[in-house]
Amino acid sequence: MAEVIEKPVIELKGVAIGYGESAPPVLVEVDLAVERGSFVAIVGPSGVGKSTLLRVVAGLHRARGGSVTIHQTNKPGHRPVSLVFQDARLLPWRRVAKNVRFGLEGLPINAAERDERVAAALRLVRLDDYGQRWPYELSGGQRQRVGIARALAVDPDILLMDEPFGALDAITRHSLQDELRRIHRETGKTILFVTHDLEEAVHLADRIIVLGGSPARIVRDVRNDPGREGLVFRDQVEQLRSGIADNYSI
Amino acid sequence: MRQPLKFHTSIGLSALGVGVFLLAWEALARSGIVPSGLLPSPSAVPAAFVAEFRSGTWQAMVMASLSHYLSGLALGTFLGIAFGTAAAMWGVWDAAQAWVVRMLRPIPSIAWIPFAIIWFGVSEAAATFLIALTVFWINYYASYAAVRGVDKDLIELGYAFGQGGLIPRLFKIVLPGALPGILSGVRAGLGQGWMTVVAAELFGIAGLGSRMSDASGLLATNIVVLYMVTIAALYGVCDFLFMQVQQRVLAWQK
Repeated sequence: MAEVIEKPVIELKGVAIGYGESAPPVLVEVDLAVERGSFVAIVGPSGVGKSTLLRVVAGLHRARGGSVTIHQTNKPGHRPVSLVFQDARLLPWRRVAKNVRFGLEGLPINAAERDERVAAALRLVRLDDYGQRWPYELSGGQRQRVGIARALAVDPDILLMDEPFGALDAITRHSLQDELRRIHRETGKTILFVTHDLEEAVHLADRIIVLGGSPARIVRDVRNDPGREGLVFRDQVEQLRSGIADNYSI
Repeated sequence: MRQPLKFHTSIGLSALGVGVFLLAWEALARSGIVPSGLLPSPSAVPAAFVAEFRSGTWQAMVMASLSHYLSGLALGTFLGIAFGTAAAMWGVWDAAQAWVVRMLRPIPSIAWIPFAIIWFGVSEAAATFLIALTVFWINYYASYAAVRGVDKDLIELGYAFGQGGLIPRLFKIVLPGALPGILSGVRAGLGQGWMTVVAAELFGIAGLGSRMSDASGLLATNIVVLYMVTIAALYGVCDFLFMQVQQRVLAWQK
């Protein structure tokens, strides 16, 4: 029986990114194919263009060159790509459930399915009882969970996450990292995760893309075995850190 | 840092302030320092109210002014918010109307009274026009600033989740985000609107202002004060009711 080779869900070919027409590009020659269901972390120093690359994939920023292709599944009532931001970015005038519902509005689904998907997304992030709260009543970690629920509610092919735990305290961050691994296992979503924290990348991702240089480009593409703890985990981080020190450290 | 007062304490202090003010006024009027024809005592006002109320004049004047006020307020508020929001959202429209706004804004509403009378006659429509003009500018600038101040990240959020089209962006992000600032403008318009009601009616359009003008011509200063108090009370009620609505609408704010 012939093996079916599935197309990568995201394909970037020769992508160049810059701000403004005349300024030099910050990121060039990005060739990247992301397999469906994988968890890919993009790491690199501040200002290298990690978040902008994510926004290019989301269609919020136009690449200066190259091509971006999303091979989306052909199912109704979903959005191919959704985003989780660093600052949660909840709409303060909507209660939690209505924030989660935001991306579903305008999709061809009926009210009952919409409500069910909101409830399921809140269950997934363990905020079942928080639907009627206002955003200001939530902690930073809870707000970020709502942001994740909102992104998952639209049943995306690709979940883009822009340093989603960067503004949280260490305990909340570790707790949410474990939650995210569980969600990835349960949903099988493709995740593209931007972080400047190598430990976070090694802890979460099965593939780590390192950006570096000026203008930046992909300097390493590492397969990783996430979820291992203790000495092995420390070794992984140290190996990665030493291997990319020239490009990553300042 | 100012400590918030308890509700009952706040009400009690407000009542005390009004009481002290009235007592001081009464004492001044009775002292003979100021002739009674120039400054009536507050105790003379209830009698004037009873007389005006029994004749039906007070009710008729209040209803007439309320009619101008509410129609002018509604028209000016709606148009002010619409034009202010449009100017803040579309750069081309903003640039096209910027100098027209700069030329028209400094002209006080009262200066439009001759045109209001020429265009509409001494009529309710003229008063409505003048009140709407006053309220328009307040709401225009409040809405403009509020819409420009909406967090750009939330606009991006709309695009990221398929709500970047004009209608969803306007109604799901821009207007809710700008609502606190827009409502501040509406509230300011409530007060300015009453000032214009009186100014417009002093020129003969029936209402509280015209009654005050007639009474002052007869040196019936107690009636003038009665209608001043009436305007203050009407504004107070409007402002209080508006605050109640505002607090409910903005319950999402901390």
